[in-house]
Amino acid sequence: MDTDFRGDRDHHDGTSDATPGGYPQKRRPGELGFAAFLSGASLFLLYSAYGISGFESLSAPGAVPMATTLVMAVTALLITLRTAQQQRVTSETLAKDILPGTVVMFIGFLTVFGVLLQPLGFVLTAALFLLVSIKVLARKSWVYTVGVTIASLAIIWLIFRVVFTVLLPAGILPEAEFIQLFRNLVSGAA
Amino acid sequence: MSRRLIGAFIALGLSATVSLAQEYPTKEIQGIIQWGAGGSTDTVMRSVTPHAEDVLSGTIVMQNMTGAVGAIALNYVAAAKADGYTLLMGAENPLLYKVMGLGDKDYSEFVPINILARGTPILVANNDAPFDDYAGMLDFIAKNPGELRFGATGPGGLPSVITAMMNTVEGDLDVIAVPYDGDGPALTALQSGAIDVMPAVLGASIESIRAGAIKPIAIFDVKQNEKLPEVPLVTAYNEDYKTYLPWGPFFGVFAPKGTPDAVVAKLSDAYAQAAKSPDFIELMDNRGFTMMGISGAEATEFLSKWQQGTAWLLQDAGLTKASPEDFGIKRP
Amino acid sequence: MDTLLALLTVFTQPQLLVLVGIGTFAGIYIGAIPGLSVTMAVSILISFTFSWDVYPAISLMVGIYMGGVYGGSRTAILLNIPGAPSAIATAMDGYPMAQKGEAGQAIGVTTVMSFFGGLIGILVLAIAAPFVSDFALTFQPRDYMLLAVLGILLVGSLSSGSLVKGIFAGAFGIAIGAVGRDPLTFTERFTFDLQIMEGGISFIAVMIGMFGVSEALLQLQNVTMKAVRQKIDKIVPSFGTIKKYLPLSLQTSTIGVIIGALPGTGGDIAALMAYDHAKRVTKNPQVPFGKGAMEGLVAPETANNAAVGGAFIPMMTLGIPGDAVTAIMIGALFIHGLNPGPMLMVDQPDMFWFIVGALLTANVFMLLFGLTGIRIFTKIVEMPRSIIIPLILLLSIVGAYAVNNSITDVYWMLGFGVFGYFMRHYGYPLGPVILGVILSRLLDDNWRRAIISERGDIGRFFEGVITSPLSLTLFVAVLMIFISQTPLWATVKKRLFRKAES
Repeated sequence: MDTDFRGDRDHHDGTSDATPGGYPQKRRPGELGFAAFLSGASLFLLYSAYGISGFESLSAPGAVPMATTLVMAVTALLITLRTAQQQRVTSETLAKDILPGTVVMFIGFLTVFGVLLQPLGFVLTAALFLLVSIKVLARKSWVYTVGVTIASLAIIWLIFRVVFTVLLPAGILPEAEFIQLFRNLVSGAA
Repeated sequence: MSRRLIGAFIALGLSATVSLAQEYPTKEIQGIIQWGAGGSTDTVMRSVTPHAEDVLSGTIVMQNMTGAVGAIALNYVAAAKADGYTLLMGAENPLLYKVMGLGDKDYSEFVPINILARGTPILVANNDAPFDDYAGMLDFIAKNPGELRFGATGPGGLPSVITAMMNTVEGDLDVIAVPYDGDGPALTALQSGAIDVMPAVLGASIESIRAGAIKPIAIFDVKQNEKLPEVPLVTAYNEDYKTYLPWGPFFGVFAPKGTPDAVVAKLSDAYAQAAKSPDFIELMDNRGFTMMGISGAEATEFLSKWQQGTAWLLQDAGLTKASPEDFGIKRP
Repeated sequence: MDTLLALLTVFTQPQLLVLVGIGTFAGIYIGAIPGLSVTMAVSILISFTFSWDVYPAISLMVGIYMGGVYGGSRTAILLNIPGAPSAIATAMDGYPMAQKGEAGQAIGVTTVMSFFGGLIGILVLAIAAPFVSDFALTFQPRDYMLLAVLGILLVGSLSSGSLVKGIFAGAFGIAIGAVGRDPLTFTERFTFDLQIMEGGISFIAVMIGMFGVSEALLQLQNVTMKAVRQKIDKIVPSFGTIKKYLPLSLQTSTIGVIIGALPGTGGDIAALMAYDHAKRVTKNPQVPFGKGAMEGLVAPETANNAAVGGAFIPMMTLGIPGDAVTAIMIGALFIHGLNPGPMLMVDQPDMFWFIVGALLTANVFMLLFGLTGIRIFTKIVEMPRSIIIPLILLLSIVGAYAVNNSITDVYWMLGFGVFGYFMRHYGYPLGPVILGVILSRLLDDNWRRAIISERGDIGRFFEGVITSPLSLTLFVAVLMIFISQTPLWATVKKRLFRKAES
């Protein structure tokens, strides 16, 4: 590891918010690309902000968005220039340090989660997600994985769906009927 | 556990086969509140719904869904299954979405369950404003064009409609409209002197008026108000207002169009009874709302008249994005 | 005498005491879980306590409010994921402490200081409510705007890395806050004609994504690593420690009360401003800020709990909510047949003193529960990462959904999570993004109001700034902080510093 490294060792970097990762004088793999992307995106947003109300007046709805995207564009270009002048960190690669396999895999998991959430419903999607991700990370027996999944999902579901009545997507499970049934049981018993 | 599970599935199977209306509600009902927690709509809905739950002997889970001036909630419920398990708890403004270019849906996609109550607009002013009545205000505006600051809450909000009404009746008034995101913040600004005059709903301003923190200018109604009997009606200054009054924002519960009639009837009955409960009536009275409690054809009629009147008023004041004619809204 | 009786209502009725206790306890957990908010809990309680009397209902709500504001610090310290927006600043120095195995100590100090801040807030509410609310009412749109600018300048102290990257992050945050239909004119901004963009981006979704998801993704790289063992012996801070931070906590509590009392600003802004204040006045911290400085914990935690008392000030004296929670409580008072407004203090002074009493009680309960449950809480950090990471991700998803029952918010949350992951790797600070989102509306809306009020005349606007003592004070503060942060000043200072070091 480079001695210039700003983050903490155990954390790889980006320890806490106040101490972002990276190196002060060098650029990490992909950093230049990221800065270039931000510049492009900022310029596009600046164009979009101009489209809101143009230079109509100081109090127009587009005034502050234009000012703020202008700041974004200027700073992003500055960052890109500075980053381009810096030397690359030779000890790191994109695949090993920035986007290792597990991270890419989890970004994939989260994407699938987002896609399935509505059609399949929260309970099934979440169960699937927990099963797969705990299995992958913990590498323990299926009994352990299934046990942890069911226990933690049950708690989360009870807190959010039953206590806080958050209307999580029901999907294909007849969730509302279930809850009503238990409500009837409770009120019947009482 | 497994027996309960089987029971649950049997219950599910039954609910699918047995006539929907008789059993309704077999599960909890979602009530989507169009506005944020703590707002007028929220308070009204949360205080009437428990009574309706008792009548229905079911559960109505209320959730706030805010954003895009309420259009997010409206679109959500409109897209939900029309089985009576998703209700919209909303206010008047969806009726103006089309003409204001805020959306392509309004209450015509819904069946009204109950229009609960209506608010009364009132013109209030900062205590230091250099006039004490409506005539004095008009005089001040005429002598000091472009100086008086009116509070506003965005196009289609109550202040914009009242201002449009004033412009139509009195001729164009040269004032500054300072926008706020809701009448709460605007009334706060009125007390602090950031704005001078605010068209507000009576219920939101009544406590501050009683305390003498702001002064009432005129009530926009055709009947003297029981809560504030000493405040003059705007019609006392100009008879022409009678064309547009009574007018006011309202609260209602709606179900998507296509909901089985029997379910609508059951819900309407529940809310009609709920609206009659004494503590709800007291609450509405304290907040200065006029009880309506109408449903069925009467409610539909009310909605279309409200929409016609307001949409054309805004159209004539040049505030709309599209003409009411484009959406088949006839001139009243 | 009547006043005293009303103040002690909570103690004379054991049932109320129990309810305040339950509320506070539940509040700590609600606050600790990102996505479960006090606002949510209190609005559900409205239906739940519908048929109750007003005192028990308010007791429960007050407890949850007090506990919830404090609870946000727990996950901020233990997992680097603020449970609530007002705990964002707490994570900055709390988490580094947990990494050193000092989570117990951090929570201990946080608890005692939250209690202290809460107490100051309540005292100001009890003694000076009418005075403070009069002061809050003197704030004009231009003052709110200047306050927002002052807040934006905190970017400097929130970005320890590159300042340029910090400025970019702050501007990005303001832009995020502007997405959707503008609440003043309903103009579409950055929506690209997509319907899902119209509702804007939930600020909680951004926060959960940037802190929760990106943290979980970062942690993936050390799944197999042993968790840091937490020392749990020195939980209750010594009297000496408390005495040492007393002057600072008095200052930050004052910031908390005032920002809390202003309608439109709340504990989140107060905590960040207090953090910035601490950084300015603390010349030689024992541990540098961002690495586990005690001052960095004391400041935001006193401020956000002091803001609770502050938020009740306009609510009780004017019927104007100081924040989202008090807005719902006003609704609750209505439902229970009271008429909150300027007359409440005159017609129902008992209600005022009852709430003061309930707040005091909740504050004591918070201290009690806060100091006793630490052992179990610190165990969270010692849980295997292979379980905690998936759970954080799942909670982030549920939490983002729960804010507005919107699946769009889940997508935003995930998007910002991945984006935040890259930002962390490349040295972009996340704090300024959140700061920007929080302040976006305050800045934008009030800037436009201020300009519109002056008929678009910028000259008249500045005339207003100069002639009003309040605006002038704020304006001078903005100028001074701005100058002290300009790159020129910073390079000069840095050069001097480096020379002295070498």
